Amino acid sequence: MKTFAALLVKEEKAIFTTPIAYVVIAVFLLIMGYTFTLTLFMSHAASLVHVFFQIYVLFLLTVPIITMRLIAEERRLRTLEVLLTAPVSEVSVILSKYLASMSLIAVMLLLSGAYAITLAIFGQPDWGPIFSGYLGLLLHASALVAVGLLASCLVSNQIVAAVMSLSLFLLLWIIDKLGYLLPDPFNALVVNMSFLVHFRTFATGSLFLSDAGFFISVALLGLFLSIRALGQR
Amino acid sequence: MANVVAADSLVKWYGPRLAVKDVSFTIEEGEVVGLLGPNGSGKSTILRILTGYLPPSSGSARIAGFDAMEDSLAARASIGYLAEDAPIYSGMRVDEFLHFMARIKGLSGSRANASVAMARERLELDKVAHMAIGKLSRGYRQRVAIAQALLGDPPLLILDEPTNALDAYQVIAVRELIRSLAGQRTVLLASHVLTEIEKIASRVMILVDGMLLTTDAKGQSTNQHRFRLRIAGAPERIIAQLRKVPGVASVEPEQITEAPPVSADGETWRAYIVPVEAENPRRIAEDLAQAVIAGGFPLSELTLLQPDLEQVFLALTKRATPVS
Repeated sequence: MKTFAALLVKEEKAIFTTPIAYVVIAVFLLIMGYTFTLTLFMSHAASLVHVFFQIYVLFLLTVPIITMRLIAEERRLRTLEVLLTAPVSEVSVILSKYLASMSLIAVMLLLSGAYAITLAIFGQPDWGPIFSGYLGLLLHASALVAVGLLASCLVSNQIVAAVMSLSLFLLLWIIDKLGYLLPDPFNALVVNMSFLVHFRTFATGSLFLSDAGFFISVALLGLFLSIRALGQR
Repeated sequence: MANVVAADSLVKWYGPRLAVKDVSFTIEEGEVVGLLGPNGSGKSTILRILTGYLPPSSGSARIAGFDAMEDSLAARASIGYLAEDAPIYSGMRVDEFLHFMARIKGLSGSRANASVAMARERLELDKVAHMAIGKLSRGYRQRVAIAQALLGDPPLLILDEPTNALDAYQVIAVRELIRSLAGQRTVLLASHVLTEIEKIASRVMILVDGMLLTTDAKGQSTNQHRFRLRIAGAPERIIAQLRKVPGVASVEPEQITEAPPVSADGETWRAYIVPVEAENPRRIAEDLAQAVIAGGFPLSELTLLQPDLEQVFLALTKRATPVS
């Protein structure tokens, strides 16, 4: 446990002492502030549904930037050899990097909580969809980070890792459109692979265990494959 | 004594390239063993297999009784490892890095502090303890990397090119450090620098093209020997006389910078190096002595020179090179 704590502290420092984290947070807040203000003035409704969909898209674009360096950089600089020749398991290395990345996501979501507080001050928002939206975003991000981490485990070039995960995210974003064109039973299978299909219910205030299960399954599969990929040297 | 390292028939393929060919060796507790070989001969691959970083394609390795792959965490806990080119986190400060390494090696609190302080002192890192590793010279980075290998007093140190990038004083200091560990710790160090290995290691293994040519080059029995004789007389006549001895390949007068001493009867004393090829060097020694005396030359010295590593290395690598 002490070893894991040391790894986690190292990863947190690596994330929060580099400019990438602050650039990502700044861009995120700028775009979200714009979206929140615009939708609020246009709709005059105390709702964050549009904001949630905007964050959903921003996560697809920013998570590859957060995860690209996690393992790829260690592999390129050969510091992975220092880590994995110490008495440290692959599971600890992967989980510490995963949790550190999720903490950046958590910071971004916490900062976006300012919009919910603004709504609470000036109106009477329905808190159900807001809580479910945040839960959906957290689950969505947990799946994305795991897949991004897997891409970073597979290559030693950060840019290639980012492009790999971004391509996969974009495909899984719009894959439901393809699913509607396919015959039964492939249509249901492909539609259900879409991140958007499973996120939409959270954003609109409906909670389904199957949707949560989808994101959790993708996250667990990503982590499992990352651990296996790290073990294959 | 117990074997701290036992490599059994290690083979490593990188795609279609065979990097390590059926390598087996053991290292006993307290030994300082050198793995000598040219660049690209597979030294680092073998060290990475022993440290559990790379799996062998076949074969197995045991470290302090633990299988390097099956029981990797226990095996790694017994190792202090310096990787080739000293890869370390350049964004960290020296102290921060050493404390991080101490913690992931399972040390905490006062034990971690004491271990870091000891390593800092041994590698003379106090001056740069608060500096970012990325701003250090290559020599300091190497010393930081060696310091992290010492943390936690591991029973086995595996050092890949430990004196790389160090200046002459630092090389001597690191050499002394490794020598001082002999008997207390087991050390396996890899280098392509023959003189370095010769000075540090008590036993030398030679690796060429992934093949282990010998596990003890210093004690290697070859039929190549060299004698040193000190004889008074005309050099041409002495050389001709020595050449008559069966097994003598050549006779080389030793190079001297000052005028050679002269004997009471006016003859000049000179030393001669005589390389010979024979299974039994004692017999050749007798033949050489008899030949000198039969020629009527005064003889004051006849010494069998210790085989030097360079000779053994050349002999072994020549033998291993396929003749087309």
